[in-house]
Amino acid sequence: MNASLPGAALLLDGRRDDETTLTLAHDALVNGLAGAGWTVDDWRLRDDKIAWCAGCFKCWTTTPGVCVHHDDGREVAARWVRSDLAVLLTPVTFGGYSSELKKALDHVIPSLLPTMLRRGGETHHPQRYAQRRDLLVVGTVPAGQADGPEARTFRRLVERNKLNMEPPRSACGVLEQGANEWEVRVAVSALLARIGVKAAQERADSAREGAVA
Amino acid sequence: MNAPQTALLLIGSPKSKESSSESLGTYLFEELAARGVRTQTIKLVKALHSAEATEELRAAVAASDLIVLSFPLYVDSLPAPTMLALEQISAWAASTSADGGEAPATGHRPAFVAICQSGFPEVVQNEIAIEICRNFAAAAGFEWAGGLILAAGGMVGGQPLRKIKGMMRSAVSALDLTADALAAGTPLPDEAVARMAKPAFPRAGYRFMANWGWRSQLKKDGDGTPLDAQPFA
Repeated sequence: MNASLPGAALLLDGRRDDETTLTLAHDALVNGLAGAGWTVDDWRLRDDKIAWCAGCFKCWTTTPGVCVHHDDGREVAARWVRSDLAVLLTPVTFGGYSSELKKALDHVIPSLLPTMLRRGGETHHPQRYAQRRDLLVVGTVPAGQADGPEARTFRRLVERNKLNMEPPRSACGVLEQGANEWEVRVAVSALLARIGVKAAQERADSAREGAVA
Repeated sequence: MNAPQTALLLIGSPKSKESSSESLGTYLFEELAARGVRTQTIKLVKALHSAEATEELRAAVAASDLIVLSFPLYVDSLPAPTMLALEQISAWAASTSADGGEAPATGHRPAFVAICQSGFPEVVQNEIAIEICRNFAAAAGFEWAGGLILAAGGMVGGQPLRKIKGMMRSAVSALDLTADALAAGTPLPDEAVARMAKPAFPRAGYRFMANWGWRSQLKKDGDGTPLDAQPFA
C-alpha cells in the first residue's frame, strides 16, 4: 500500500491523561488523516482493559500469530496487521513510551515470526505478513526539553523500532508541552507529509501534474 | 553512593515462572546477601495487582539504599507493567519531594541498577532500554549506578544460574563483580559490564539453535497451525 493514497490508519493513543499538547496533537492527527481521506481507527488505550503480554510466547508456539489470551490484546495484532499506517501517540516517558501505549505495543509480537535471521549485521525476527505499514510516532516532552536526554532516547527508540518493524516510511516528532494549537497543527502536518499523507487537494494537484508531465 | 544496608530487587518480567530476568536478579541478590546486605524481592506484576501490594512496593522503595531492576526486553524497551511501576515510583518521588517528605528531600537517594536481557544475541538491541532506566533514575532522583546487558538470554531459559553456571560463566562472573562493587558502595565496574556483554555462544550458532528450538516447541505445543500462519491476512 502506498501511503500517498488514503488507506487505514491505526492510531494507538497512549495518553495517560488529557494533557493539552497531546490532546491537540491527537486532534491534529485525526483531522489531518481524515481530511486526507484516510480511515482512522482511533484507539484510546486507557479506556480499554488490555492484559499485559505475559511473555509466554504461545502466540509463536501454540497458536501461531494469535495471542492465546482472549481479550483486547488479540485485537491489537489484528488491527495492527490490517493497517497501512500505525500512529503511536505518547507522552515521552523516561525516553520511552507510556505504559498505556506499551500495553498495546507489547501485543504486536504475533505479527513477527519467532525465527531469527541476520539483517544489517544484526539479528531480527522476520515479518509474519508481507504487508508493511508506515510508522508515525509523536511524543511530548516538557517545555524546553525537545533536545533533552529523554527526547534523544525517544528518537533512538523509534530508530530501533524501525529496524524491527521495517516500515516503508516513517517519521518521529517530539513536541514540547505548551505549544499552541497552530504550532501543533503545523508540526503534525509536516510529519504527515513526511510519510506521504497528502490532503485531497494536494493529491489532485499531484495527479494533474503527473498527467501533464 | 554509600555501602547499602538494604537492597530491593524488582523483577520486571511479566512471566509467572521460568523468568531469566528473575534468574539473573536472584543470583545477584544471593551474592549481596552473602556480603551482608539485607535483601528483598518484589515482582512488579504482583505489586501492581492490588492497592495493598502497591503500597508495599512504595514502602520497600522508600526503605532501600539500593534498587536493582531486572527485566526482559519487550519491543525494544521495557514491558508495559514495568513502565507502569516506574511511572508510579517516579510520581511518588516527585510528590514526597514536593511535600518536603522523606525522599529525596532528606537525602534518601537510593542507588539504582538495571539489568536487561533479551533473546537477541546482540547487546546493542538492549541499549535503549538501559538508557530509559537511566533517564528514570534521573527523574526519580535516584543515583544511577549502571546497567548490565545480557544478550542471548534464551540460554538462561529461566533456570537458576547456579545450575547452569558453566555455560553462563561470563554472566556469573559479571554478577560476582557487580555484587562486590555494590556491596562496597561503588557503581558497576566496566569489567562487569564487559563480562556480562560477552557472548556465551557464537551468534550464527545461537540463531540456528533458537530456530530449531522454536520449531520443536511448535511441534510439541502447537494446535496444528503452521509456524508462518497469517491469521489476520
